[in-house]
Amino acid sequence: MPMSDMPKSGMPSGALPMLILRVLQSGSLHGYAIAQRIHVLSSQVLGVEEGLLYPTLQKMLVKGWVTAEWGVSETNRKVRFYRLTTAGRKHLKAELNDYDRVTQAIQDILRTA
Amino acid sequence: MGELFRRIVYLLNRRRVDAEIESDMEFHREMAARAGRNNFGNTLRMREQAREAWGWTWLDRLIQDLSFTVRTLSRSKGFTVTAVLVLAIGIGVNVAAFSLFNMVALEPLPVRDPGSLVRIERRSPQNYTSEMPYTSAVFYGQHAKTLSAMIAVLGVPPMQIDDDIQPTSASFATPNYFAELGSPAGYGRLFDPAREGSANALPVVVISYSLWQHRFNGDPGILGQTIRLNKKPATVIGVTPYTFASLGGQTPDIWIPMAQQPYFVTGSTILTDPSAGSVRMWGRLAPGVTAKVAAQELLSLTNELRRQHPKDIWDNEYIDIHPGGHLQVMQPEMYRVAGMVALLTLLILSVACANLGGLLLARAVTREREIGIRMAIGATRARIFRQLCTESLVLAMLGATAGMGLSYVCLRVALSRLPVPGWLSATPDWRVLLFTFGIAMVAALMFGFAPALQIARQRQRKTIIRQILIAAQVAASCVLLIVAGLLVRATQHVLYTDPGFAYESLLSVDPQLGHYNYSPAAARAYLDKMQERLRGLPGVQSVSLVRLPPLGHAISRMDEEINGHPVPVYPNWVTPDLFKTMEIPIRLGRTFYPGEKNAVIVSEAMARKEWPGQNPVGQLLPNGDGKDTVVGVAGDAHVNAVNDDDAVEQYWPAQTDDMPDMTVMVRSSGDPGGLPPMIKSISESLDPALFPEIREMKILYRDNVLQMVETIAETVTMIGLIAVLVAAVGIIGLVSFSVSQRLKEIAIRMALGAGKREVLTAVLRQFAWPVGIGLITGTGLALAASTLLRKILFGVSNLDPLGYTGAILVLMGIIVLAGLLPARRALRLDLAKTLHYE
Repeated sequence: MPMSDMPKSGMPSGALPMLILRVLQSGSLHGYAIAQRIHVLSSQVLGVEEGLLYPTLQKMLVKGWVTAEWGVSETNRKVRFYRLTTAGRKHLKAELNDYDRVTQAIQDILRTA
Repeated sequence: MGELFRRIVYLLNRRRVDAEIESDMEFHREMAARAGRNNFGNTLRMREQAREAWGWTWLDRLIQDLSFTVRTLSRSKGFTVTAVLVLAIGIGVNVAAFSLFNMVALEPLPVRDPGSLVRIERRSPQNYTSEMPYTSAVFYGQHAKTLSAMIAVLGVPPMQIDDDIQPTSASFATPNYFAELGSPAGYGRLFDPAREGSANALPVVVISYSLWQHRFNGDPGILGQTIRLNKKPATVIGVTPYTFASLGGQTPDIWIPMAQQPYFVTGSTILTDPSAGSVRMWGRLAPGVTAKVAAQELLSLTNELRRQHPKDIWDNEYIDIHPGGHLQVMQPEMYRVAGMVALLTLLILSVACANLGGLLLARAVTREREIGIRMAIGATRARIFRQLCTESLVLAMLGATAGMGLSYVCLRVALSRLPVPGWLSATPDWRVLLFTFGIAMVAALMFGFAPALQIARQRQRKTIIRQILIAAQVAASCVLLIVAGLLVRATQHVLYTDPGFAYESLLSVDPQLGHYNYSPAAARAYLDKMQERLRGLPGVQSVSLVRLPPLGHAISRMDEEINGHPVPVYPNWVTPDLFKTMEIPIRLGRTFYPGEKNAVIVSEAMARKEWPGQNPVGQLLPNGDGKDTVVGVAGDAHVNAVNDDDAVEQYWPAQTDDMPDMTVMVRSSGDPGGLPPMIKSISESLDPALFPEIREMKILYRDNVLQMVETIAETVTMIGLIAVLVAAVGIIGLVSFSVSQRLKEIAIRMALGAGKREVLTAVLRQFAWPVGIGLITGTGLALAASTLLRKILFGVSNLDPLGYTGAILVLMGIIVLAGLLPARRALRLDLAKTLHYE
């Protein structure tokens, strides 16, 4: 089944930057690879639209969480690779902590209520 | 590396970054295509969204709006020029007024640390005086820990240099004066506190730059030269610089150390007499001390002074501290005048803005097609609104720039024609720039906001907003014209009103006996002899004494309540012949007998107010101690209140105790110009130590009253003309637009056979309501304004029918003209053409 036929869930708002940061933790990637990685790692549940990915990446550049540098893609094309900065790492940690706390809280409610 | 920094880096490299984004997305598509996915999103839109992350979209839009504005404005040059001109006048008037205020009250003097300079004055709930005894000033200076320095200046009547005919202005100052101001010498040296502090020091003077240039022709040998000041030799040690900034705007030509005052004025006890209020005091706040803290300490020192001299300190007296490091020390009354001027200039601005707003609305109708197209291809209302606001801002900025130029030119001309200190300059400083920017913003809001809102909603054809605009415009123009008319009338009134006494051929001779410590008896003897000798001079018709001569250095005023109305009463102390000397007619009763007591002569106006319909002669004066009988009624003569029409006078017989303060009035039969040398020689023979101040009333009156009145009249007429002009331009523009909008309707009516008269009425009727409402509101506002105005400018009557009707008639004339001009054009319409148009 081609990927485009997979039912794709919308990205929960605000989650994308965290996912991008997490994906970039293991090394720098280009934009398409980021989208792919998220798609694959979410067992093809989450899809990242181009129209959302690049504005988000630009926002993260503004915030200084990631930097971009030129590299060569697997198809031998000049392309930009995004890399996590120290500030980005710090932010990811904070985000993850926050996320854990909130999901824990939600689960507590779901389980006990 | 901050976020802002990254944003700025982006702004500088945006072309590269945009290319990077494009490349990223292109690559993404290539890869997606390989994976068999096709994405049909709008690439341009997505790229824009990505760019928006950097937060500079507003800048892009602004640049777009600006460039569009420049194109639009340069395409309609006529409109732009008119708008900028109207704004330049409206804003320029405000900027000029603010610049003046800034010069006088905000701009710090170019002296050392102007912020800590304070003016120190005596006040109590009942009393106020700008001067204090020198002994008190010294006491405060020595004991106040909150003051790091005390500066005192004693103004004196002009002094005579060598054998000059024209006297020269002079002041005594504490020797720290120049050092405290940090003023360098223009030439030679200024006072040195160590050398000039003692009464035994060699008598020295510092002269002003202009005296050096004009009296001594800039002679470099002036230093060390001995001049005689009122016959007392003194050495010139230095010259103040050309740009010298003095305290309180006082610029005498001769500065003398305070300690030497007794040397120059023989017998004077001013420096030791605790009851002689004579010096102006300034202080320097000690570092870190606020005016409030200093005032508290000075209050306790005042109480200490009261223990020492119980007679000389008022009840509840306290010390008033004002910032002293400006050209003028602002008093509450001056703020009121400033407020009034501000109101007037803002009114001009609002008229200008109302006019421009109307013009903008009118223009919007011709721009309907353009705006419609922009909306059709997707511009939002907000975007159109923003675009229109940008246009307004650009116009306002252009107008402000032109207005500032206008104000600068006017101020420069004014400054070059007035005797102002050399350091004052018309060049706008940061305060003026800030003010100009602010007022431009206010103007843009006033003329641009409402029309922009209407246009963005495509409601420019709605008549209601236009009618409101017309009403507002008529109202504001009405206030402006009436106030201007009242001011013109008031100045005319002062110009052509008889002061009530004949000032031609009148001289005043003030021997200042009090300054030379004459006793009342000695003064009486001196004045008797002086009068006798004067009467013997050829050409002298009449001689008498008065305590407060016209246009003198001091006036006395009491604000009394007469039959429920506050009336300023000006008392004076005179000898019986004064009425003859000054040619003030005695209307009823008689003048005083020599040596008479408990008698008073009142002016006609006072008699009318106090005893309406009764004979005032023989009445007791109610506000006195009940013993003073009115013996006569004199004609109204504004001896001490030259331009106060409400003023009333009271004359009291001068007693022996008044003698040291008396001035001799002399009337000659012809030109009194030849008398002063003879009077001088008489004074010389009576007491060579005295230097009477001889003043010719005609010259004084011309210099003080007429010149001032003429300047005011010129300014006011100018403002009035500007008001008429601005009002006319705006109203004509608006009405003619409204008419031209109804051309088609007119054409149809005429085609159907309507007569010219009916058409004209139909066209003009729509303005009846707004104009009527505007006129009524405007007249009401003007009434309120004139009541305020009356408190400041004397001679303005708040119900001057001529002023009101004149202004209203002029306005009506303008409106009718404004309506008729376009209507006439409408009547001569080419019917076919009009109906076929579009």
